[in-house]
Amino acid sequence: MTAWWRLNSALLISRLVSGTCRLFRYPGTSLPGVIALKICPDAVSLMAPAYDRVIAITGTNGKTTTANLLAHFLRAAGYSVAHNSLGANMLPGVATALFRDRRLRGQSSSRIALLEVDEGSVGKVFAAARPDLVVVTNYFRDQLDRYWELERTTALLREAVARLPRVSLVLNADDPLVAAIGQGQAQDARYFGVLKDIQGSGSENSKKIEAVHGADPEIGSAGPMDGEPAAIAGLVNACETREGRFCQHCGTALTYNYFHFGQLGDYYCSNCGFRRPALDYAAWGLSESELLGMSITVQGRSGSGEALSASKPSAGHRSAISIRQWSASAAAPRQLKLNAPLRGFYNVYNILAATAVAVEMGVGDPVIQSAVQTYKPATGRMQEYTIGGRHCILALIKNPVGANEVLKTLIQTAGSKALVIAINDLAADGRDVSWLWDADFACLAHPDISKIICAGLRAADFAVCLKYAGVPLERIELVPERAASLRRLIAQPADKLYVLATYTNLFDYAKLLGHRGGGTEQNAH
Amino acid sequence: MRIRVCHLYPDLLNLYGDRGNVLIFCRRADWRGIEVQLDQVSLPDRVKFSDYDYIFVGGGADLEQGLVSKDLEQKGPLLIDAVEQGVALLSICGGYQLLGRYYRAQDGATLPGVGLFDLYTEAGRRRLKGNILLQLAPELQKEAGNHREEELGTLVGFENHSGKTFLGHSVRPLARTIRGHGNNGEDGTEGVSYKNAFGTYLHGPFLSKNPHFADLLIARALSRRHGVVDLAPLDDALEINAHRVMEGRLR
Repeated sequence: MTAWWRLNSALLISRLVSGTCRLFRYPGTSLPGVIALKICPDAVSLMAPAYDRVIAITGTNGKTTTANLLAHFLRAAGYSVAHNSLGANMLPGVATALFRDRRLRGQSSSRIALLEVDEGSVGKVFAAARPDLVVVTNYFRDQLDRYWELERTTALLREAVARLPRVSLVLNADDPLVAAIGQGQAQDARYFGVLKDIQGSGSENSKKIEAVHGADPEIGSAGPMDGEPAAIAGLVNACETREGRFCQHCGTALTYNYFHFGQLGDYYCSNCGFRRPALDYAAWGLSESELLGMSITVQGRSGSGEALSASKPSAGHRSAISIRQWSASAAAPRQLKLNAPLRGFYNVYNILAATAVAVEMGVGDPVIQSAVQTYKPATGRMQEYTIGGRHCILALIKNPVGANEVLKTLIQTAGSKALVIAINDLAADGRDVSWLWDADFACLAHPDISKIICAGLRAADFAVCLKYAGVPLERIELVPERAASLRRLIAQPADKLYVLATYTNLFDYAKLLGHRGGGTEQNAH
Repeated sequence: MRIRVCHLYPDLLNLYGDRGNVLIFCRRADWRGIEVQLDQVSLPDRVKFSDYDYIFVGGGADLEQGLVSKDLEQKGPLLIDAVEQGVALLSICGGYQLLGRYYRAQDGATLPGVGLFDLYTEAGRRRLKGNILLQLAPELQKEAGNHREEELGTLVGFENHSGKTFLGHSVRPLARTIRGHGNNGEDGTEGVSYKNAFGTYLHGPFLSKNPHFADLLIARALSRRHGVVDLAPLDDALEINAHRVMEGRLR
């Protein structure tokens, strides 16, 4: 009874805080949970059993997009989903989402809890929410001051997963750091990845995607860096940040048949035999025009298990429902053709991960195919606004690999461009901004980039980074303040405008852009 | 004039924007018309370090530092030899620790280091991290002002380490802490200075907001073969601004 009282008091308080947040137009994605958890610290573990399925999505990049896509697929299939969709992905954010979903009579209103989980919070969140399906997107260097090093981050996940009694894993096979998590676990694992033959035979006007870094002549080598000494040209263009190039089991350098980006690709260890697992979900035949097109080959053994029935919501305890066993029976592989209103090669992985989970949950192919076309990107995931007749794209950058993928997509777009790049160093951004120097900002020395306005708390640091990356000084401007930086951006005569921002700047820029343009703001909630 | 740069373990020790430190050093030499030769040297390579003018060693994660530590059993004596001959060297964070005498882990186990610097590091309980402001050692301060109009006596950066480093008698600290923890959070020292070799915990990358120290390193690197060199002042408005913004935040 005491637990019941604590939980219900916490529920009331969280409603009160949520209401107050709304009153003051504060998003309140985390604060209600923070306060409610003070009253009932075990609230998440008390609420989670009410769901038929608890799905957790973790990793460095792509968590929000994968989770939002999956929520969209599941809702299209008729499921109700409780989801921390606004990116608040530590325990208080998860608690806020579950409280929001809970009826005052003490039931959850949804059947599925879909949780985006910060990679540093997997210990706490998994212990409380006990997910039965865990999706891992990738591990890249990110916010080292919070997570120290990747070895620690992956060890955290391994421990958190090992403590779950029954869990299925959906893992990115192309990332050796992620694939290693599936090995040696008693749990079932499904793997997704992108094949080498990524070039689609798409229609005449559709642009082929170039995914392999370094093979793209437009990036790095173009622009005013041509006259540079070889030593320096090598430094600015070279080294893409690659983590996990060494075998997680024996420390030998991994050999790659091919790379996509970062450390993602087809790899093997010549010493101990560790290699990319066989793909249950393989993407190929990519094309990009207005839509991002791809084919996914689904291996026969996948998605053939017991599907989640869409019948009456069960009010019972989750442990009463058996976690379905993946059947080993082999059916013929089948193809799934998808076209998504997204940009950038990295989104292939997000679509692939969301599709894999949806198929495993029993969502039909036609539902996925039609739902993916109506997906709307979340705030700052290459979100489009219109300002004075010009396109302005808002994108989140938070670590070198993610930033590189955004930059690559940007450079491949035709026309002159002006940018605001806003770098903050608050806790959620990472306090150490050294990561900027590991990203390939050298591609911004391209003559198509007419102006880069440096903004945010670390505008001064970023201007130095651009200077050494080879961007001509006359194209660099320092306007730290947000609204002023946007005014300068709009004053530029470029064809296209971009705002790239770290996390704590993102929502404020989204708000300002929404006010200014009021145009085609696309939001997922 | 030519400057020969060795980037040691670029594939293993590259944790905190270390590539930036090499880029800044090379660009500032190049902007002065000095021809830059850059070699990347890693595990299997056998080189004579005394053939270089400047060696850079960054920081790495545990797995990578373990691999490096083993390799340094062979390369270490050659590195010491080079520094004794006057080759300039900069080491950051993990690289800085590896060049000391030893590292003592939480459980008391001792891992031997190269012994290039007379210092040792022991595992600490808390993480020493945050932005940091330092007063450059007096003997370096004047020298760092040689190649510019405006003298800059401070260093700024970001520290993030749990190891606590203690200096021996035959080396000097690089700087004293004004704000932040420094070598160990206890004695007010930060980094090390020995002949033309330096070590520090500062990221940022270190040289990005400390152009005066980058120039000091270039001058030291050239000194073995060229004696006292006169480096033309550069337009450092952006770098100095970034230094001042951080200094203003911390004072």
